[in-house]
Amino acid sequence: MSAVHFHGSLPKLLWAMAGLAVMSTSDVRAEGPGLRFQDVSAQAGLTRVLLSGRPDKEHLLDSAGGGAAWLDYDRDGWMDLYLVNGWELKGNRIVRKGQNALYRNQGDGTFRDVTDQAGVGDRQHWGGGVAVADYDDDGWPDILVTNFGANVLFHNQGDGTFRDVAARAGIQAPGWNTGAAFFDADRDGDLDLYIAAYIEATLEDVLEARASLDWKGVAKVAMGPFGLQGAQDRFFLSDGEGRFREATESAGLEDRGRGYGFAVRAADFDGDGDPDLYVANDSDANYFYRNRGDGTFEEIGLWNGSALDLNGAAQAGMGLAVGDVQGDGLLDIFVTNFSEDFSTLYRGLGRGFFEDASIDSGLGDATYASLSWGAALADLDQDADLDLVIAHGHIYPQVDSHPEIGMHYRQTNQILINSGGGAFQDATPSAGPAFQAAQSSRGLALADFDNDGDLDLLFTHLDAPPTLLRNDTQGGNWLNVACQTPPGQGGVIGTSVWVTVKEKIQRRDIASSGSFLSAHDPRLHFGLGAARRADQVKVVWPDGSTTVLKDVAANQFLEIQKVPSQDPAPGGASGAQNPTGE
Amino acid sequence: MKAVPLIFSLFLTGLVLAAPPQEEAPATATPAELVDAYESLADVILGAKESEKHLVRSILATAYRHAEVTAMRAKAGIEAGEDMEAELEALAALVSQLGNEGDAAVAATRKRLLEGGHHHNAKGEEQGIYDEGFVIVTRAARKAFLDSAKRIARMAAAPDADRLAAEWKRVADEYNMLMADAE
Repeated sequence: MSAVHFHGSLPKLLWAMAGLAVMSTSDVRAEGPGLRFQDVSAQAGLTRVLLSGRPDKEHLLDSAGGGAAWLDYDRDGWMDLYLVNGWELKGNRIVRKGQNALYRNQGDGTFRDVTDQAGVGDRQHWGGGVAVADYDDDGWPDILVTNFGANVLFHNQGDGTFRDVAARAGIQAPGWNTGAAFFDADRDGDLDLYIAAYIEATLEDVLEARASLDWKGVAKVAMGPFGLQGAQDRFFLSDGEGRFREATESAGLEDRGRGYGFAVRAADFDGDGDPDLYVANDSDANYFYRNRGDGTFEEIGLWNGSALDLNGAAQAGMGLAVGDVQGDGLLDIFVTNFSEDFSTLYRGLGRGFFEDASIDSGLGDATYASLSWGAALADLDQDADLDLVIAHGHIYPQVDSHPEIGMHYRQTNQILINSGGGAFQDATPSAGPAFQAAQSSRGLALADFDNDGDLDLLFTHLDAPPTLLRNDTQGGNWLNVACQTPPGQGGVIGTSVWVTVKEKIQRRDIASSGSFLSAHDPRLHFGLGAARRADQVKVVWPDGSTTVLKDVAANQFLEIQKVPSQDPAPGGASGAQNPTGE
Repeated sequence: MKAVPLIFSLFLTGLVLAAPPQEEAPATATPAELVDAYESLADVILGAKESEKHLVRSILATAYRHAEVTAMRAKAGIEAGEDMEAELEALAALVSQLGNEGDAAVAATRKRLLEGGHHHNAKGEEQGIYDEGFVIVTRAARKAFLDSAKRIARMAAAPDADRLAAEWKRVADEYNMLMADAE
């Protein structure tokens, strides 16, 4: 049961109509996507420089960078942007404490800096990651900022302002916090929280650090992560009243290897109806925590095929992307890694098993040279399969002084097109001049910021303003699905949407975070290719209930509202592995 | 923990100072007592490395015996038509521990040793035979164990006693070869 309608705002409807007009004159192109992206950062007004330690990056924190999040904080139908900022150092001195930024989308391609009036600047902490979720289920999206220091949880007060409630919520957890994921681990209708941590380090350690690691015999660079002690990830269980208590051990999420944790993503990877958790660790085996169904977990990454590469080696996990690359209804996991090593595509085999498909998919060779961070699987040319975008950038600026190494600190980001069966081709050279600009990029967050039906790209970089690339690709038809639940019904994190066109099924999931320390547009975008209608749109809500729509027109923003459940099905399987039925 | 080396050094110095002078040695020579003390310390250092090998052998042997019993139980259960998913997953976990020289907690200890600069098989690591910090399990054996673990876990979907026996034989052969080499 559900209420379904076009989004009420006129601009959106006009954008949707514009999309229809475009599609009436252009057909889907199965090959030659003609990708085109335009750098609109400056004209959009995104000028905040994101600080990141010292120029020489003498401690790993100097090189870690921060994330970005898209959210509609004022619920006006336009995606707003939140940026996480670090500090600037000189030697062992703090020169400047960067302010995080909230940019309000004005609906005309520009943004207005509303940081101060919203109260989300937070100069007190060296920021890292961001996750967005309505943690208290009051209908307004809240912002978690993970810091080097205490975390901050900005509660959205619904009037354009936020208030930090991290202390009251009990999730400050000082340390080097990185990726975070809100998810309903125990399926009791409220959102719990996992926060990864990188290494044990104090501010004094950072300030006193000097580049001392001999790298390739040519340069002294920042020490670590080997030689530094891994910090413990933490899990917080919600009491449903806006407070959390740490339950890391009792939930079985103990980070027993003290991995250098970065990206985190929750999803029902094994299709049994409850959310599992994946953690990308730097230089350590990645974790796959399988939910036992009662909110406790067991770590099975070593034998389900998602912890190591095909040679059995741990890699330097940084960011990740989750999606159904092959169109078989199974979630795949893409993990970005260090340079001179490939980023890894763990292909889902069903029942929570994976195999390293990096070589088969063409991603092995394509990603080997670069040092990779944020990543997103999204249908950028709208031909009904998931393409891949990756943010690149080295951590050692010293490499620029040694051309014989053949690496650069600033690197071009990468876009790879899915040929339809999960095989990728590097389309970066043909994606326009915007993809030829080199930066030391970190975060990557996708959104349809201009509500024109396609997905745009936001990259964060070290010591530079972000880059917003507007997608000007003349792609196929599309559908944008926003899922909503009434306040008190558990929210939408963990919802999956399945769109069927003829025999082809596409799946997307709503998550609080992804990529590298970032959060994408919570609305789900589907490319439909030549199809002007979807045969079916099926929503599987976190409680396992479903909403099914038939014969849905393409090129529209669809809002699907969950009707309050009289009899929620806690613990009931969603059957989300392949819900083609009704 | 940091006090231990200091106390040990003081102890050695005390030994030297307290020892009666021995027969004449060249004035510039390192005193024989210090050489003896260093010899003793060398025994301790080299002995510690040997002890590390024995300890890891024991970790592997424990996991192997546990896995062997689990494999037999799983095989018998499959033959009897019982649901052996939990046993197969337990077996997979144990076999992956063989590949990993222990579970994640052991890996954390291994990482600590690496952080301290200790590489048990430094030369073997350079040659690509061992992964960093591994003591007995070679890179090739590690991959073999982890691949077997995955295949065993996936058998839960279509249990087959003969396939399980064949997979277990692979694990056992790999293990026995490894342990023989580690003698």
